[in-house]
Amino acid sequence: MTDNGNPYLPHPARILRVREENSQIKSFELAFTDPERHRAFTYRPGQFVMVSVPHGGEAPISISSSPTRPGRLTLSVRKAGRLTAALHRMAEGELVGLRGPYGRPFPVEELRGRDLIFVAGGIGLAPLASVVNLCLDRREEYGQLTVLYGSRSPADIAFRDELEGWRRAGVKCLLTVDQGGEGWTGQVGLVTTLFAQISPDPGRSSALICGPPVMFRFVAAELTRLGLSDQDIVTTLERHMKCGLGVCRHCHLGPKLVCAHGPVFTLAELRGLREAELA
Amino acid sequence: MNDHLILKKDHTLSLLRRLMREHRLVAPLRNRHGDTLFSEVEDLAGAELDLEHQPQASLKPFLFPQQETMFRYRLDGEGGYRFEPPEPGRPLLFFGVRACDLSAVLYLDVIFSKRGRDPYYFARRRDSLLISLACNQPFANCFCNSAKTGPFLEYGFDLQLTDLGDRYLVEVGRARGAELVGRWRHFFTPAEEADRKAQYQALLESRSHFQRQVHLEQAIRRLQADEPLPEELWAGLSRRCQDCGGCAYVCPTCTCFTITDQQITATEGLRQRSWDACTFGGFTRLAGGHNPVDPGREAVRQRFLHKLLYDVREHGRPSCVGCGRCVGICFGGVDIVRFIDLVCEVRQ
Repeated sequence: MTDNGNPYLPHPARILRVREENSQIKSFELAFTDPERHRAFTYRPGQFVMVSVPHGGEAPISISSSPTRPGRLTLSVRKAGRLTAALHRMAEGELVGLRGPYGRPFPVEELRGRDLIFVAGGIGLAPLASVVNLCLDRREEYGQLTVLYGSRSPADIAFRDELEGWRRAGVKCLLTVDQGGEGWTGQVGLVTTLFAQISPDPGRSSALICGPPVMFRFVAAELTRLGLSDQDIVTTLERHMKCGLGVCRHCHLGPKLVCAHGPVFTLAELRGLREAELA
Repeated sequence: MNDHLILKKDHTLSLLRRLMREHRLVAPLRNRHGDTLFSEVEDLAGAELDLEHQPQASLKPFLFPQQETMFRYRLDGEGGYRFEPPEPGRPLLFFGVRACDLSAVLYLDVIFSKRGRDPYYFARRRDSLLISLACNQPFANCFCNSAKTGPFLEYGFDLQLTDLGDRYLVEVGRARGAELVGRWRHFFTPAEEADRKAQYQALLESRSHFQRQVHLEQAIRRLQADEPLPEELWAGLSRRCQDCGGCAYVCPTCTCFTITDQQITATEGLRQRSWDACTFGGFTRLAGGHNPVDPGREAVRQRFLHKLLYDVREHGRPSCVGCGRCVGICFGGVDIVRFIDLVCEVRQ
């Protein structure tokens, strides 16, 4: 069996930098140990990799860096289970395994010329960050960029450096927290409360959403109310996954598989799929 | 070459013995508990070949084992995190395979070809030989007539044998079958017109012996209609499901799997692939506990719809081959025949 013939073969990658985003989220900047592989590795925003952690198996993690910044490969990971907890214990210099990238990316070509509204909750900003950075690197190709970001509390606000950079670059970044606290003068409430502060032109706007199912339902309803069509509401789904190749079927949405048909879907594509949890 | 030949039953073991020089022979054997299972034959003289009963499991475990090592991994300090796949074994020869089980292998070929050929499956499948045995006498739960996968095959086999009493009529299927017959031609004689007539007679008789009436096509048409099935039908079946996975394990076409690491030492371990079942409550559960499927009401939904609706849309035919094993194994009575019957009863 050759290397190329085995799609399950992980390739070692070194953790170059670890950044703590909040108490639950860390960002890992990685590089394949084989420099040739690292140079040749390409991906598109919205795609994911299968990450191997020593003795911990594999899990799908979306790529949060942008392909417009070659050489960068960043994964932002929330501590949610055994594998991600083990990853959080790992330090700079240690090795993980990677295979991929997999999945259907965000339609960044089709979105050219449009105003983009990014809506995320918590770790949900990770896959969207890849698109925001791509848009900033090709600034003239996209219209207005707006980021609506919800966190549980002020201390839980992740990706602060990223948000600050986007603000400086002219992205309208609106934050909210479920529960305020001392010193917090910003918005309190669910991410949908931020919609009062924007008035998108539905004819030229598309929305990219990532968050828990209940958030997606309310955000999608809000966007529909603002006049966006189901085709212009795009999300990326998180699922339990073992192969990433469309075979093991853990990530099914009835007839569709998140790894192969997604993880990026339009609302139009998800309608009628019970496992998409729209109802 | 005439593609209809005769192999005397007296010569069969001796032919198999020749083939075992290059192949690992897998055939239905009766074990000391009286169970018939496809087993690897080490010693043909000491084995009790059983072509009378339906093997309790299919060929699936030999091509897609219940548990297999995908890689041995090693962590060696500075050097790396290396994954080494195992070496493939000797080619397999399957003997006495029924039409349903062979049809299932053709489905597995498709599934494991998706998005890059599965190296583990095809390492076993690539050089395998399939010698099938037409079913002169279907078993109690069989409905291959309804699934259109048997009782006799028209393609997919290397050789298909039909029992004609003291001899087998041999049909040569794929090139590998022709090669086998060419190489061992002294075992075979040309079939006479009378032999072919006897085979046709056997086929007709076999078709009249099915004990179950399973309206698979009618159920598929109902599922293809836009109107969803009553929620209570799904919930009722799901309540009876005991979460044992038996149906998926005996099913020759169920291929869901999981992958886990098994640590051996601080720096070594095995990455293993094992059978899984979409009927298991935790099959879709995410880290953190959220589950997009409600096992209480939907435990069996994916399994039946995948086989009878999604695969029909994707591959043009259902992936139930009508072997009836799930009927025999399910102690909750949530087998696919029960489902098909219920779907046919639903008023449109």
